[in-house]
Amino acid sequence: MSIVEVILMLVKIVAVILLMVMPLAIMLTWADRRLGAMVQDRVGPNRTVVWLPTPVAQGAAVGPALLVCAIVAYIAFGHLAGAHPAPSPEDKASCGTVFAHLAILMTWATFAIISGLVIRRGARSSLDLWLKNFHPRHIVYTGLGAHVLAIVLSSAFAGTEQGLVLQDWYYGGGAAILMFAVLLGAGYAAFAIRNEPRVGLRLLGLPHAFVADGLKTLWKEDFIPPNADKLLHSLAPFISFFPALTVFAVIPFGDTLCFGSTPDGHLDITKLAHSVPREGMCLAGSFRLQVVDLNVGLLYFFALAGTGIVGAALAGWASDNKYSLLGGLRAASQMVSYEVTMGLTLVGAMMVYGTLRLDEMVRWQGENTWGIFVQPLAFILFFTSAVAESKRIPFDLPEGESEIVAGYFTEYAGMKFAMFFFSEYIAVVSSSALLAVIFLGGWNLPFLYRDGFHVALGGTAIFDQPIAHGLVIVLGVLAFLLKVVGLCWLQLMIRWTLPRFRYDQLMKLGWRKLLPASLVNILATGLGVMLLQGAEGSLATALRVVCDASTLLVGLVMAGLFVWLVVFLLKPVHKRKMLASSSAQFAAAMGGTRNFRMEA
Amino acid sequence: MSQVPLGPRKVMGTPVARPHRTAAVQTYVPEIARGLGITMSHFFKNTKEMVFGQRPDPSTEAIEEGINTLSYPEQKRPYPERFRGVHRLTHREDESPRCVACLCCSTACPAQCIHIEAGEYPEGDPRRGYERFPKRFVIDELRCIFCGFCVEACPCDAIRMDTGIHAAPYDSREQFIFEKDLLMSFSGRDGSKLTQNPRHEPSDDSYPGVTREKGH
Repeated sequence: MSIVEVILMLVKIVAVILLMVMPLAIMLTWADRRLGAMVQDRVGPNRTVVWLPTPVAQGAAVGPALLVCAIVAYIAFGHLAGAHPAPSPEDKASCGTVFAHLAILMTWATFAIISGLVIRRGARSSLDLWLKNFHPRHIVYTGLGAHVLAIVLSSAFAGTEQGLVLQDWYYGGGAAILMFAVLLGAGYAAFAIRNEPRVGLRLLGLPHAFVADGLKTLWKEDFIPPNADKLLHSLAPFISFFPALTVFAVIPFGDTLCFGSTPDGHLDITKLAHSVPREGMCLAGSFRLQVVDLNVGLLYFFALAGTGIVGAALAGWASDNKYSLLGGLRAASQMVSYEVTMGLTLVGAMMVYGTLRLDEMVRWQGENTWGIFVQPLAFILFFTSAVAESKRIPFDLPEGESEIVAGYFTEYAGMKFAMFFFSEYIAVVSSSALLAVIFLGGWNLPFLYRDGFHVALGGTAIFDQPIAHGLVIVLGVLAFLLKVVGLCWLQLMIRWTLPRFRYDQLMKLGWRKLLPASLVNILATGLGVMLLQGAEGSLATALRVVCDASTLLVGLVMAGLFVWLVVFLLKPVHKRKMLASSSAQFAAAMGGTRNFRMEA
Repeated sequence: MSQVPLGPRKVMGTPVARPHRTAAVQTYVPEIARGLGITMSHFFKNTKEMVFGQRPDPSTEAIEEGINTLSYPEQKRPYPERFRGVHRLTHREDESPRCVACLCCSTACPAQCIHIEAGEYPEGDPRRGYERFPKRFVIDELRCIFCGFCVEACPCDAIRMDTGIHAAPYDSREQFIFEKDLLMSFSGRDGSKLTQNPRHEPSDDSYPGVTREKGH
């Protein structure tokens, strides 16, 4: 192992744990409260504010924009100043596409946000007055149209003389417009706040989770009951917290990055492969986006996730409190029961994929079809038992506050309490990540291959867009994160929808419904694998068609969701006024209760 | 004592119809999906309106579904024009109180929360012998029932409840004892500490009344 590889390993650990899992868990705490408020027609926690002096706020707006501009200028125009050699035509093509779309995106987003603000708070400058002529809705429609136009133009002129000219335009013009849009947005923000004495950083109430809830616990009293077992009482939160974090070691969050290699066979970090073939793996200089690549990946996950039981049971036992003991016992028996279902459910997936390595499972899904189509029952069973494993509503009996105070962490305060709390949310993130890897294709997107987007139906190519290797990987990581966030969100939604089970119902559901169902799933999967393994001829063709159809279905569903989102967000809102009370009449005469409106 | 027979007793009353437990109900999944749908529709609608500033106005659009919460105290519901808020003592042009310490308000007050100590103007003051002034003017805002009788009773328009401030929450009883200086520091909703009603001092030329100096 060379020094570079050791450093890369450390970077991976820090990136996964500090940049991905912890913020996701903290943001989930925030989102959970936020969702709770939103679904109950409440505002939710949004009062925490960090006051910034105006120059600092202006700097925070302009600084990153200048940095982005510098990077774009270096990449796009650096070769003119001789900073790096002139880009090859392929580089120009892929960078140009990215620049053009980013430029269009930044332009319409900036103008739409500013014009929305102008509508809300009235025009304050001549730019505002000019922007008042356009509605944000029309700006967004124009922007989306421009994206489509750019794609159509580039595929219409691909490979022709005009195509090269267009490429140059995309490359140079796109970069210039991108820089202009970024600077305009940041400059407008800095200009708009110039007369404010100070600027409040509210971030949709996010400081509430980070500062008010998270950091607060550090300064709280660390209480240990007088007759508690001091060692075990202090050990329990660590036992449930750290295993929850370490399960992320085996989760692959992106495809393998291909670098060049040095003559002695080590990885050369300066040479990222420009493009890779659609099939196969790079051998030398491969860099896995996964902390460790264990051949027992899935078993490692279960081994560590099961350790959480010990933490909860120990906490309940060591607290010297009857309610804690009850909560600890409930937690232990519940988690043991559902662990069985969880493990048996995935046996079907293991049979289909024929491996325990999580990255190979993702690769199988990329080549064939997503796991949810081969194992639909297993998906539901696994999702249910994963919610039960993280001890959340509707399975939150271990902490059922209407029955046993707060269950196994009744006697915990301060950071130790927060560790139990966070480990619950980290369990949500990790189960979502596992679900995304096993059932939702991990980093795969429909029609995105290792060399770019290729939409083909039955052998006829409809759309081809080669994409640089680095960008494919980034898209993959983003897709994976999106799936994880979506599944976390679904778990939160379930929390805000369902009431709590009774304890006998919980046990009955686990042992008498989910467990037999998972056994049936194993049987059915076994039969299916036996019948279909090594399929040849027309059967293989039929399977291939079914796989393609499922990919197409996913693509269509995603496109449909996107269209729905755009339509939903841009649908005009009409509110009925009711001025029956004198208070309402007075408010209407004053222009509504909007003079000091706190949003979001 | 009669022997209660063992075994099932005869059930009285009309039986309640059991819900029909179809396979869809018993597998939970469709019903959970329906419930999730309702939760999600609330979530999407409210989040969108919150972020885009399209929340219904809590005062004028309260009939609409959605987040009608007021973020008090950053955001306040506008009070009606005739809202009776915390009292103020109106000023004269020379910033002295218009109050002449006639004790009408404290007499009219059903809660007996107004305490006035009247003082005489010094010798040589044109107002001496004509009117008095309040040496102390105290209102116990915790005892006040905000009926507005004091305002009705005042012959000089010296006490008003048009500040638009509602009774503030303090943390000790002493803080609810409003002295003259505090009462005089409030202004009406229009920002003025005066009133619209003119007052003609005995020494003014505009003074319409009968004075001893003018020889009536």
